[in-house]
Amino acid sequence: MTETSLTVAVIDPSRARAAILEEGLRASGVATVVVLPDGPDLQARVASLKPDVIVVHLESPSRDVLEQMSGLSRQAERPVAMFVDRSDQTMMQAAVDAGISAYVVDGLRAERIKPILDIAILRFNAFARLQRELDEARSELADRKLIERAKGILMTRKGMSEEEAYKLLRRQAMNEKRKIVDIARAIVTAADLLG
Amino acid sequence: MKLTLGYVPLTDAAPVIAAAELGFARAEGLDLTLSREPSWATLRDRLALGHLDAAHMLAPLAIASALGLSGPQADLTVPMSLSFNGNAITLSNALWQAMAPEGLDVGTVARTFARIARERAQAGRPLTLGTVHPFSCHSYQIRLFAELGGLDLGGQVRLVVIPPPQTVDALARGIVDGFCVGAPWNTVAFAAGLGQIAALGCEIVPDCPEKVLAVPASDADYVPALVRAVAKAGRWCAEPAHHAELATLLAKRGGLATHADLVRVTLEGAVASDATGRRRVNPDYVRMDAAVQAPRASDARWLVAQMAASGQIEDAAGLGDAAAALYRADAFLLG
Repeated sequence: MTETSLTVAVIDPSRARAAILEEGLRASGVATVVVLPDGPDLQARVASLKPDVIVVHLESPSRDVLEQMSGLSRQAERPVAMFVDRSDQTMMQAAVDAGISAYVVDGLRAERIKPILDIAILRFNAFARLQRELDEARSELADRKLIERAKGILMTRKGMSEEEAYKLLRRQAMNEKRKIVDIARAIVTAADLLG
Repeated sequence: MKLTLGYVPLTDAAPVIAAAELGFARAEGLDLTLSREPSWATLRDRLALGHLDAAHMLAPLAIASALGLSGPQADLTVPMSLSFNGNAITLSNALWQAMAPEGLDVGTVARTFARIARERAQAGRPLTLGTVHPFSCHSYQIRLFAELGGLDLGGQVRLVVIPPPQTVDALARGIVDGFCVGAPWNTVAFAAGLGQIAALGCEIVPDCPEKVLAVPASDADYVPALVRAVAKAGRWCAEPAHHAELATLLAKRGGLATHADLVRVTLEGAVASDATGRRRVNPDYVRMDAAVQAPRASDARWLVAQMAASGQIEDAAGLGDAAAALYRADAFLLG
């Protein structure tokens, strides 16, 4: 259970991924979760929100903005520091692998931040897995459409049945030691070119 | 040997981009893949954690990373320098008009800037300037520019970080009154009619050590070959005859696709400087030639002195020695 008194800001160029983390943090009891967009006014937004923890995706260009707000800067209005827990190298590596870095308000204890990072790692990894599955499903669908088109071309041009067309594609693929979809793509491209 | 090299899309990433794309790395037996990084912080962390084999890096950030001043402490060394200069300070049209400097020399411009900055601070509306990272020559050049005009930056001017591709937007929306950024973004802002180029980095600090090649300190038997490849690529980039081809390559690989013409202009050292279309040309605007490449311990010490002057560190003497030891002139000679 995370602490309910913390304000957490989430910065992520992917709005879908940010929404998934926001939901996860809310569900675990963080009272205030605010998703901030990347942009030139980010420093002003962070300064007015005054979050205790900022979870920022490594793909965000805004990480450098947050570093300027660190205690190193004389102008820091509410200093934040990058959360680097040297005692826990595995945690650090897991966070970076999941695409996460965190900035915390000066003085916040490590054990108050860990549950938030744990949720972020879980949610971001789950998002990456979903993304991968979706990409695979998309490319599978595209492959199937291509094979359907190639079959259609063979059926029209050569008067074949659907089954014959598929067998021809498969035989050609075996002969050339290529995938059926590659043969299908060649047929579709040739048909497009030759009209 | 397969290597991954991180970079941030800027004109001065030219030597590493050319090394990977124009066959210089292959000639040394290296299969060099470029990894475009979204921020300096992410580039620094990925190098520190071993995700990158080398990086195009802000010189002060490489030192800060190795000394544990910024991000997770990294065991890295600097076997070569990639560039000198390349930055400029661009100010909004409104601020430039208020300053109305009588000349374009850096001293005159800095004095008029200091006068307005003081007035604005006294009125409770301090000027806001953008830099690119706390550990950057950009931050130091803003401070030195203010000091040239007799202004102590602390408390008088707000410094914020704006990622370079967002600088033009930030100026257009009045979020900043100006910024110090690397090529080609000053030229882009000027071409869009949004600001005036007030001072070139090389006018504030001649031969300012800007970007370096940073590599992990251990297990780096590929470093001599990499240094040879990048050094040859850098010398190729410095040849005026190659600037048109290089600009096209940078526009494609550097995420600067809409700005190829402006990238070429910055390679030639030309930066337009006022509304009447006069061009300010300085051959030292971005230097990537052979003379910049050997890492100089004096540069590392100067950068540490700048960190101290900016309040980022206290023990300048001790850290100066540690920083100088990271700059491996021997590794460059072996390359």
